[in-house]
Amino acid sequence: MADANRTPLLDRAAALLAGPFLLGRQALSLAFLTDRETPEAPALALQRIPVTPPEHAIKRRG
Amino acid sequence: MKTRLPDHGPVEAPRFWRTLEERVETPEARQAAHDEFLPGAVPAYDDVHGLPPQSGVSRRDFLGLVSAAAALAATVGCDRKGQGTVVPYTKRPVEVTPGVANYYASAFQEGRRVYPVLVKTREGRPIHLTGNDEHPGVRGKTSPRAMADVLRLYDPDRLRAPKAEGRTIGWAGAEARLQGALKEAKATGKPVLLLSGALASPSRKALLADLKAALPTLEHLAYEPAAGDAAEEAARASYGQSVAIQPRLAKAKVILSLGADFLNGEDPETLAAWGAQRRLKSAKEPINRLWVLEGPLTLTGTNADHRYPVAPSRLAAVAFALARELAAKGLSLPAGADLSAVSGGAPADVPAQAWANLVKDLQHAGRNAVVLCGAQMPAEAHQAAHLLNALLGSEAVALSPAEPLATTRDLEAAVQGMAAGRYAAAIFWDVNPAFTYARAAAWKDAVAKVPLRAWIGLMEDETAAQCQLVLPENHWLESWGDYTTPGAAVLQQPTVGTLYDTRQGEDVLLGLLKALGSAPAADYHTYLRARWEKAVLQGGTFEQALHDGLVKAEAKTVAPAFKGASVAAAAGRATRRTEGLELVLFPGFATLDGRHANNSWLQETPDPISKMTWDNPVAVSVQDAQTLGIQEGDFVTLTLEGTTLRLPAVIQPGQAMGVLALALGYGRTTGGVAKGVGANAYPFLGLDPATANVRPGARLAKAGGRKELSRTQSHHRMEGRDIVRSLTMDEFLHHPQGHHHKPELVSLYEEQKFPDHKWGMVIDLAACVGCSACVVACQSENNVPVVGAEQVAKGREMHWIRIDRYYEGELENPKVVHQPMLCQHCDSAPCENVCPVNATNHSPDGLNQMAYNRCVGTRYCANNCPYKVRRFNFLEYTAYKTEPETLAYNPEVTVRPRGVMEKCSFCVQRINDVKIRAKGEGRSILDGEVTTACMAGCPSDAIVFGDLKDPKSRIAQLVTATRAYRVLEEVGAKPAITYLADLKNPVAGGHHAN
Amino acid sequence: MRTDTSVHAVPIPEGLLEPALTVGKVTPGSLDDQVLAFPETKPPKQWYLALAVTLSALGVGVACIGYTFTTGIGAWGNSSPVFWAFDIINFVFWVGIGHAGTLISAILFLFRKRWRNAIARFAEAMTIFAVMCAVIFPLIHVGRPWLAYWLFPYPNERALWTNFRSPLLWDVFAVNTYFSVSLMFWYLGLIPDIASMRDRTTSKLRKTIYTVLALGWRGAASHWQHYEKAYLLLAGLATGLVLSVHSVVSFDFATSVVPGWHMTIFPPYFVAGAIFAGFSMVVIVLVVVRETMQLKNLITMRHLDVMNKVILAMSCIMAYSYMMEGFTAWYSMNEYLHHGFMNIITGTYGWAGWVTISCNIFIPQLLWFKKCRSSYFWMILVAIGVTIGMWFERFVIIVISLHQDYLPSAWRIYKPTMIDFGILLGTFGLFFTLVLIFARVLPVIATTEVKAILPDAQPSHGGSHE
Repeated sequence: MADANRTPLLDRAAALLAGPFLLGRQALSLAFLTDRETPEAPALALQRIPVTPPEHAIKRRG
Repeated sequence: MKTRLPDHGPVEAPRFWRTLEERVETPEARQAAHDEFLPGAVPAYDDVHGLPPQSGVSRRDFLGLVSAAAALAATVGCDRKGQGTVVPYTKRPVEVTPGVANYYASAFQEGRRVYPVLVKTREGRPIHLTGNDEHPGVRGKTSPRAMADVLRLYDPDRLRAPKAEGRTIGWAGAEARLQGALKEAKATGKPVLLLSGALASPSRKALLADLKAALPTLEHLAYEPAAGDAAEEAARASYGQSVAIQPRLAKAKVILSLGADFLNGEDPETLAAWGAQRRLKSAKEPINRLWVLEGPLTLTGTNADHRYPVAPSRLAAVAFALARELAAKGLSLPAGADLSAVSGGAPADVPAQAWANLVKDLQHAGRNAVVLCGAQMPAEAHQAAHLLNALLGSEAVALSPAEPLATTRDLEAAVQGMAAGRYAAAIFWDVNPAFTYARAAAWKDAVAKVPLRAWIGLMEDETAAQCQLVLPENHWLESWGDYTTPGAAVLQQPTVGTLYDTRQGEDVLLGLLKALGSAPAADYHTYLRARWEKAVLQGGTFEQALHDGLVKAEAKTVAPAFKGASVAAAAGRATRRTEGLELVLFPGFATLDGRHANNSWLQETPDPISKMTWDNPVAVSVQDAQTLGIQEGDFVTLTLEGTTLRLPAVIQPGQAMGVLALALGYGRTTGGVAKGVGANAYPFLGLDPATANVRPGARLAKAGGRKELSRTQSHHRMEGRDIVRSLTMDEFLHHPQGHHHKPELVSLYEEQKFPDHKWGMVIDLAACVGCSACVVACQSENNVPVVGAEQVAKGREMHWIRIDRYYEGELENPKVVHQPMLCQHCDSAPCENVCPVNATNHSPDGLNQMAYNRCVGTRYCANNCPYKVRRFNFLEYTAYKTEPETLAYNPEVTVRPRGVMEKCSFCVQRINDVKIRAKGEGRSILDGEVTTACMAGCPSDAIVFGDLKDPKSRIAQLVTATRAYRVLEEVGAKPAITYLADLKNPVAGGHHAN
Repeated sequence: MRTDTSVHAVPIPEGLLEPALTVGKVTPGSLDDQVLAFPETKPPKQWYLALAVTLSALGVGVACIGYTFTTGIGAWGNSSPVFWAFDIINFVFWVGIGHAGTLISAILFLFRKRWRNAIARFAEAMTIFAVMCAVIFPLIHVGRPWLAYWLFPYPNERALWTNFRSPLLWDVFAVNTYFSVSLMFWYLGLIPDIASMRDRTTSKLRKTIYTVLALGWRGAASHWQHYEKAYLLLAGLATGLVLSVHSVVSFDFATSVVPGWHMTIFPPYFVAGAIFAGFSMVVIVLVVVRETMQLKNLITMRHLDVMNKVILAMSCIMAYSYMMEGFTAWYSMNEYLHHGFMNIITGTYGWAGWVTISCNIFIPQLLWFKKCRSSYFWMILVAIGVTIGMWFERFVIIVISLHQDYLPSAWRIYKPTMIDFGILLGTFGLFFTLVLIFARVLPVIATTEVKAILPDAQPSHGGSHE
């Protein structure tokens, strides 16, 4: 990336356009949360299955 | 953005100082003030402190970019589903380094077979299995079902705590109850029935011996419904003892299979030997010849040099005739062998010329010939095979002592005992007779008469439903154990702490022993270790054995004398005539005896012959289908001795006329995945062990209606296209490229240059048998989703690698070829051009890359792929995965959402892993260091992956082989995968069916 | 009637005279009353009934699309190897139908075919509505439609460009250009008529709306000058589009490697097919319009006759194209292409091949007969046949070629689902809803242009200039 041509004007124009657009989109999505966009948080605590290391086992490598 | 101060010279007063240092104005103070808020960030021009301009990001720009990036990050994040919380360890287990995989050696037992494995764990979770590379036999390979069993560790249907009468109770109470019942049985002298799976573990056997010593009325039966009763009966008849018969292909020049499917993936050692023999580089190298006589078409049959459809009930007669012929040619029959019941001359089942050739081949090969018989074939066929091996003096077969298995006769006696109220208690450990015993109703009634029934197993099944005490067992990945294999004593160790409140079955038995008075050890780990330190380890430490997973040992073979006297009776039975259709019941490819029916990976891996998934249709021969007017998918009623099933039918090319084939292990009634899949064929099993799986007198009739078959392949002909090449040895010698010439490809575009590596693959079709281990390995490694029966019927299965199977020639006995087909990583990929959003492109090291997060899902790439290897997520195939299933995912590979295209990536995560490691160690990548999952999983080493730019690599030698070609080369896609034509070794001038 | 400009008028034989473009006495005033007054009248019950039907169809489509968004493309019949099916069939179908309008309004304008004046606006409106129906499909057929905007090369922080080598991206530009140019062209033509309506209307609301839409048109000479120039310019731009847009759409197929798609005949073949389908749809709609809106004197039997001749000509070109496909398949000695072609006439979907051939080639031959070209029954029969035939032609091209291509192991039968049909029905609903609304809300005939071809339009000798 460091050796790519820098185009600060273009970058800033992009940020100017992209920024408000993306923020607006995020605002809208937060305002109108549909099932599809709600992250499915897996039920924590009770259903989380504890993964514990095996006792007395010897590993090959790792 | 940045304003320059008017150039008035350095600003003097008024100024406020923040620190004493600043007041004094040392250079350090200035630098400190400058760095105060953002250490390391350097402004492009620092007006305030009079420091010279330096390159870098100014604070203002930095903040600007950070806020924009944050906005972007937030919105990019808003689309992603299932974001959980990432929390670092507060107390990291010593064993586990996040991001680094641990490998443990262990072993998996399936029936009588033992698979030494290497278990890859990430963050403490086992996620991928391969064979144990230290084991001299399997050398890093294992079976498809073994690889798939990692999914069962995370099966949501696993029982998580003990139950009594359906209610969850604690272990203390459960064990107390069981121990009480046994103590009472000991006091009253009433027998206790213990039904378990095959005894392949010496320590478990020792433990059972201890238990029997403490409880003399213990009756133990080792029950394996898939092992084949007939084989057991035949072994006892021919050799006077139970034996395991293992082919030694390295010594075999001629192999005759009587319905023996020894190439089907269950035996990686044999497949390795097969691959080694068939992966010829020049026609001067020796190659074996495989003759197959069988009823249903098996994988071994598809790889035969000569194959003839022979009804299983006729195999014995044919084999005895063969023995008679060989004896006539001078080979000496064992003493007492009486073949007078066998008629002379060539049987009608095999063409005359073929018969003559077969006799000649066997005669000339002599000690280097071997005859193998399929486990489910009638006992007399086995006995004929034993006779032939004795006759030939075969050195290509090894007999090893085996623990006797219970046959249906033994089981029938147990059922009668239960019905008569003989037993005080019954313990069912890793068996499911309520499902696998042929007479389910009789079983149910008999079992109800036992006062205490206890069940020990992984997930509640049909048998558990009939037991009061239901005890959940550890998965083998959580367990201790040991096994004997040829060449090594193998250890099983836990690779993860128990996920739930489960115990090892052996620990339950130790508890029983304790209650009965003797206490050999506190737990099974101690018991096992003590036994090993005493009897098994010769000098080495137990830790070293666990590290390796084994201790090398001499293979224990036996050479029991062949009982010639057993021949006459067998020959007599062989000449029986059967009426009507004969039904062959074989263990399902996916389910075996039904134990794996809840494994969705296996249910969705297509049967290598029929390409069926999620179902067990009855296979009908081409001729019978025509006679009965049956078409693919038609529902039929199958009737045998009063039992009737309504099933879909498939037409199976190559199946002998008059033979029906039906897979066991389907029609389960418990298990979220298994329930309702297919039909239970166990009621058709015969009660006479000699012919339990080959049943005469079946009737088939059309039942009306058709089922949409869940098949991954619906067209079976190559249509004369140059897709899979198969050469006879003669062709290999003289014109390996046949009449095909390399197409001249002209391109307007410049060829892409590959500066460092150029990854490619060679697949040797002569070594590939079609076992589908690569399919399962890939699914496990790359988080390939399962779509279910309905979606497979629509053609939406997601396997990144598939095995295409084509029939050539007459369908009554076709030539069959297999071809693994996966993304060819074409240099001039048709898919890369047409993606409108640039989601797929070519990497500088030759991979066709797929950027999942960029894909919008127009599916143009899939249309343009001539190999049709791209898979589209038509629905949210991972939507409903929660723990524990999500624990099976490989964290190095993205899980793809709905609407995104995916395909083989040449295991780019493994390539990058090796690249990073090599870079860290300051060296270049060694040949063979990168193995794709399919390559690592292939037992016959048919798949070779490597760097085409490395002239010393194995793959560079293989791409220039005379047998080499590319599929659809004329399309001009420039695939990076080269195939080596299949080799067949028929008798000179002949082909597979003559 | 045209007359010679020389002083001594020589009577021209009747047979050589250009047939009348209008029937009966039509004056500018009567034209205005007939056409411009229409939007002010209340629609009859039948219109509401028709609208109810089309809106229900549209509703079904919207529901099916909504279901697809929430469930996934798996709701359709698409699978491996038929990854495109109804979605792209419908897309090409609707884009094709749009071509008639542009040909009539732009190309025929440049060729100075005066008979197009009466029908140009309705045809152009149909183009716009058809393209609207078409544009739905690229947006909904993607696996992740909420990211469909990634097909546009918008400036972004990741220096990401779209892939300009992909025909799908050419589609994006082609269809967008087509839509925007057609819309502008159509709107431009509407301005003088809307201005007339603004001047005639008595309703305050309508006056406000028309005033806004008329953009201040006063009918001044300078306005007319700008208008004529702009119209000519847009006509020129749109002309190229008639040929380029569907050629670009055909590139989706022609530039791929799929046997049966990879053929150089596709661009002209598709363009001819588009004109073919478009004209048929125009014929169907215009027959209904002239009857229900009493426009028989303006949309004459001659208009229908000429359009039917165009349909016949296109049918002959289609016949040639099909024969060339067959010839190419044979001549190429390419087994994949040969198999693909045989599939069209004898394969599992051979019935679709024969529907296509019958509806596109055999049935339209009826239009050789004047009787058929003048009879509502026959011309509508042919037109509906062509519409069905052209839909099936895309089915044949897409589904038959895809379901059996290079590797037989991938071959599989495709079956559409009810959702597929629902969405197709929805697009017909959308199209006809828009047609119905347009017919009642805006003047369906370009009075300005028709006035220019009336007998007393030119101020000399009772005739008119070219």
